[in-house]
Amino acid sequence: MKRRDFLKFSGAVCAALASLSLDSKFVKTVSASTMRKDLPGSLGAEEIPSVCDMCFWRCPIVAKVKDGQVVKIEGNPRSPANGTAICARGNAGIQFLYDKDRLKYPLKRAGARGEGKWVRISWDEALDEIAYNIKKVKEKYGPHALAFFDHGSSAAFFREIFEALGTENFSNEPAFFQCVGPNLLAYLYTLGYQAVDPAKVDMAEAKVIILFGSHLGENVQVSLVKSMVEGLAQGAKLIVVDPRFSVAAGKADIWLPIRPGTDLALLLAWINYVIQHDLYDREFVQNHTYGFEKLKKAVQKYSLSWAAEICDLPEEDIRKAIDLLARHRPHVCIHPGRHSAWYGSQDVNRHRAMAILTGLLGTVGVKGGFYFPTEPPLEKVSFLAGEHEEIEPPETSLKDDYPFAELFHGSPTAEIIKATRTGEPYPIKLWGVCGVNVIQTIPNPYQTMEAIKKLDFIFCVDILPTESVLWADIVLPDATYLERYDGFYVGKETRCYVALRQPAVKPLFESRPAYEIAKDLAKRLGLKPRYERVEDWLEAQLKPSGHSLKELKKTGLFTYPAKPYRSREELSFNTDSGKFEFYSEAFADEDLPPLPEPDFAPAPPKGYARLLYGRVPVHTFAKTMNNVWLHFEWPENHLWVNDEVAKRLGLKTGDEVILENQDGYRSERPVKIFVTPGIRPDAVYLPHGFGSRSPMLKTAYGHGVSDTFLVTHYEQDPFMGASSHRNNFVRFIKDGKVLSIPELRPVPKELSRFEIRKRV
Amino acid sequence: MSQWAMVIDLDRCVGCHACAIACRAEWKVPVGEGYRRNWVKRLGPARTPYGMAFTFYPGLCNHCDTPVCTTVCPVDPEKREFKDPKTGKKTAIFIRATYKHPFTGVVLIDKERCIGCGACVEACPYGARYLNEELDEPKADKCTFCFERVTRGEEPACVKTCLARARIFGDLSDPNSEVSRLVKKAKRMVTKEVNLGPNVYWVGQEKDLYLLMQQAPKERTWENV
Repeated sequence: MKRRDFLKFSGAVCAALASLSLDSKFVKTVSASTMRKDLPGSLGAEEIPSVCDMCFWRCPIVAKVKDGQVVKIEGNPRSPANGTAICARGNAGIQFLYDKDRLKYPLKRAGARGEGKWVRISWDEALDEIAYNIKKVKEKYGPHALAFFDHGSSAAFFREIFEALGTENFSNEPAFFQCVGPNLLAYLYTLGYQAVDPAKVDMAEAKVIILFGSHLGENVQVSLVKSMVEGLAQGAKLIVVDPRFSVAAGKADIWLPIRPGTDLALLLAWINYVIQHDLYDREFVQNHTYGFEKLKKAVQKYSLSWAAEICDLPEEDIRKAIDLLARHRPHVCIHPGRHSAWYGSQDVNRHRAMAILTGLLGTVGVKGGFYFPTEPPLEKVSFLAGEHEEIEPPETSLKDDYPFAELFHGSPTAEIIKATRTGEPYPIKLWGVCGVNVIQTIPNPYQTMEAIKKLDFIFCVDILPTESVLWADIVLPDATYLERYDGFYVGKETRCYVALRQPAVKPLFESRPAYEIAKDLAKRLGLKPRYERVEDWLEAQLKPSGHSLKELKKTGLFTYPAKPYRSREELSFNTDSGKFEFYSEAFADEDLPPLPEPDFAPAPPKGYARLLYGRVPVHTFAKTMNNVWLHFEWPENHLWVNDEVAKRLGLKTGDEVILENQDGYRSERPVKIFVTPGIRPDAVYLPHGFGSRSPMLKTAYGHGVSDTFLVTHYEQDPFMGASSHRNNFVRFIKDGKVLSIPELRPVPKELSRFEIRKRV
Repeated sequence: MSQWAMVIDLDRCVGCHACAIACRAEWKVPVGEGYRRNWVKRLGPARTPYGMAFTFYPGLCNHCDTPVCTTVCPVDPEKREFKDPKTGKKTAIFIRATYKHPFTGVVLIDKERCIGCGACVEACPYGARYLNEELDEPKADKCTFCFERVTRGEEPACVKTCLARARIFGDLSDPNSEVSRLVKKAKRMVTKEVNLGPNVYWVGQEKDLYLLMQQAPKERTWENV
């Protein structure tokens, strides 16, 4: 089971909803023959179907081209996921393509690392230099001295190259070890498939939806937001568990402003309540689950009043919420969320508890509940030809302390950075980085920068000169998603599709599609790409589908039948026991908690508030802040501060404060505060991704404050080694004076208090 | 006569700004302070008499029944012929450089005749117009309900991209249209000081509409023009 192969993240999607089209009676439409490119706006443009890449949700789109320029992007009306709809970022893809700050040519470092001083070189020189350094490091230190950090579509080809080179660090996606890992593991070990790609909740058909910290709406995954909104429009009730009054909370029937880090108390008490009050699905539990009696015994002491005190919530509200959920089972959606590397030790078990509640309510394989993914009729065809030897693990592996890390392609990011900094347990001397801004993504960027200084060589493949790119010895300019082919995107929701990304225009400047770059690099390393032309690679994958590339170039996608629901007779689970596992023998075998148990994040140190972060709907990670249209909509982040706290400190909306965290690190500049009753007094909220430190990003640079540079403390979860983000705390500095955050909510004895380490 | 209108459902809207960017892309609205044909303003989280609320003001030109922006236009009226996009019927009326379309009720700008004086921009109590000074000769610009798209059978760009299906566009003269059904329970942004017969409506929870209505104009801006 540990080595179970699960499919990599791919496309997007959920409940497909017919898009509005104008009533034919509304206007007299003109015939297609009058459509010309000189019509106003985007009318009359050539339409090239493709797939968006402004975030990892990857909605099917249509790029509208006039005179060789992309003038508009719309959703692909054929898409069962998004139809004609796309989000602000998708619409603004044009400004990503035509960003003046794009990397234009291969570059070689001419100054110190991090300075961003380069000279322009040829593609041959750049690739020769990378290949030479890879070979040199591998020869001198062995294959594991190579590490690859990746995210996104372009990275897949390079990942195969690093894997073929024999390093155990061939794919270190912050997407796993900083984000979804604990969530993914929890659901995989409870019901046998991962629940995040996409969140497999049929919200459009639900009677009740519950979100744990998920801020759908501000986090815009189009198909999920559509599904939630349609569900609510059909009368679904919404429960939002979030210390902050999110956009979703604004639409909720019950908002539970939970004390951050205490979700397990709420979940354990709810699990016990459902069992004690006989509100669970007996048939499902009896026939399809494993370990119910052990679960029942383990949770019996957790009452709603116990949870109410720990979570700092009214007992009445938490009873109302669980009654609402239980009353409407099985048509309830317990949303699994996505980002789950929150606090460290509790992360896997918190999500296990969410999955367990899903099982108790029998909402598995049912309409309006948790659904099953449907695999696409595609052939897996590797980029590289030939069989590669299985990676020979090093004497001491970076995964040794984390029994479930081997489920993931690479090694825990924190371990790679540690090994690079210290040379222990083995030296790491070369990094490849593709499509990920490691400095604005991974906790403690100070350590990340220190690690980079120790490297013999680092290269980056990217589109914009991010702060991570500034540290590279060689920079390769990738083509944007509007200029290249990539692998297929699969939407495995309640309606399924396979979509093609294809170029709408030719690559600008000297940028090249990742496939082409990787092909030329592979050859220099003695590896053989399977196909010279990317189109042939794509065509080979389509074989079992009965569709052709030619057809997909016209339509952009094909749909295939989904089987999201199961009758009770059909239910089977891809777990060790073949059942839905309340109790995990696999966890017990590794001396890890086989059942969720109380595990709470420490309370803030006196004088500090917990630093929470999240998304704004117009930005993706730290990736889109340089987009002139998106920047115009949302140029900087503001810090949410509770109104009562602000009153005590004499602060009002628009005031500026410097943030100082528990380790003494300060924000690079003051941040404007936003005073609101919509956040708990023991936390502040800072939208993620702002505060760019790359002066080469002329639009983004110097706007807002980086949350990542204040997340200097992290704890690794014991299952897979993911690094937590939410055990960081800030206080304010105003006019040179320290403002301590007053403690307005009592901290119960069950909670420890975060201890401040010696100052840096 | 038709009156095109829009209803925005705040229960559905998540404030994603797709409408704003789709419009900017479709009509090449340049980036610059105040340069927008439509917008999304965040309201809250804040306490209201109806509970805590967090909503949005997705705004655009109201295509008012009595648009003051057209009356302040100093350009000499000229006779122009117009066609009803629904029936093909024609009529001729005198218009200034900005005018209310006689068959659809859409407030439009004749860019050929606009002298870029900015009077209409000043007059609009909703701030729904801007003066595009990026052009060699500045011109006023504003939402047209995507007249050019709609008359060719396309939806307005903001409607087409809306992932929440929060924007419902239609004709109020058709009693069976979705907008006609929805306006019965909808609110318009009018106050006792400012009521020009706007044709954009909002529906939503009471608490959300409470925050929204605080954005309604109280100043009779056109009287200073």
